[in-house]
Amino acid sequence: MNLVFLVVTLSLVWAAVTGSFTVLNLLLGAAIGVGAGLFIRERIESPHLLLRLRRILSLALLFFTELALSAWRVAVLVLSPNMKQKIAPAIIAYPLTVSTDVQITLLAHLITLTPGTLSVDVAEDRRVLYIHALEMHDREALIASIKSGFEAKIIEAFQ
Amino acid sequence: MIMDGLYYLAGLMLIAGALFSLVAALGILRLPDFYSRMHAASKAGAVGSGLALLAIALVSFDAAVILRALLGIVFFMLTAPISAHLFARAAYIAGYRPAGGFALDEMNERPDAN
Amino acid sequence: MMSGPEFLHLATTISLGILTLALLLTVCKIVIGPSLPDRVLGLDMLVAVAIGYIVVIALRTGFMLYLDIAIALGLVGFLSTVAFARFILQRWEIDKAAQEDHREEARR
Repeated sequence: MNLVFLVVTLSLVWAAVTGSFTVLNLLLGAAIGVGAGLFIRERIESPHLLLRLRRILSLALLFFTELALSAWRVAVLVLSPNMKQKIAPAIIAYPLTVSTDVQITLLAHLITLTPGTLSVDVAEDRRVLYIHALEMHDREALIASIKSGFEAKIIEAFQ
Repeated sequence: MIMDGLYYLAGLMLIAGALFSLVAALGILRLPDFYSRMHAASKAGAVGSGLALLAIALVSFDAAVILRALLGIVFFMLTAPISAHLFARAAYIAGYRPAGGFALDEMNERPDAN
Repeated sequence: MMSGPEFLHLATTISLGILTLALLLTVCKIVIGPSLPDRVLGLDMLVAVAIGYIVVIALRTGFMLYLDIAIALGLVGFLSTVAFARFILQRWEIDKAAQEDHREEARR
């Protein structure tokens, strides 16, 4: 079931990338998809793929709204005349709850695209993420908003 | 009529995307320190090219072009934060600090800090 | 009242003007610096504006092949930024090693 889903998706993407939706090209895409699917077989055999897919989609939606908001906030900040008083750059240490590489990468990615925050580095022991904040007025509030927003959603999507 | 609406929407998106690019360019000129400039370049810049690609997807009426534009958007959204993150890290480790200093710098306290 | 395609053509003209302004501002930033990361950031920004430019021209001329060029440019721009980040790190390490050598020689 999972493999079929993956193969169909991959063959559609293949047809889109190569730019022709002929039967022959779709079959070629499907053949490559089967090859790729067999290659990563053990990794994709999870029972709740559809549920996970929905959660990942909701994460993606959150991501795009946050991106739009973030670009808007930066634009307003850049255009405001008293910009220098408004910004208070700081690097704060954010204690991570998520533990695997994929989740940390995703979280760092999302944080970079949230308003006024940019992830800089991960500590060697993977417990702390260093974040550069453009307007740091309340450290605890910033940490709490990431904890209850992105990190909660990521944990939901990947457990 | 609906087609006309699509064209109007695409035109507005193009202009909005161009304006975001302009704001990003202004941002890297106006913001006072390097790390703040990174915010402008990584966010406003990515949204600028993303909106232009979305405008193409709206008016091309060709499945291959639409999918390619959407793939392009996903690709830019994935790569913009990676380059910003990598670049901020390189600059921090190499010892570039803003002239006014940070209001708070907790990265300074880590054991392997330089 | 303009028809849709006419408005789109006007919009591409306006966007090209705005993007040109953005391009010029970015070039100013690259020239004035002041530090190496600032200039690399300017180059990164230049690639982003160039992608916008190419996409607008694709819409204006109707050659969708430009879209592939824009995506390829995005890839190259990303890789170049990664390479520059590595360059900054490497240069710093070489500088540090040179300084330590210098100090050791002074001690002798």
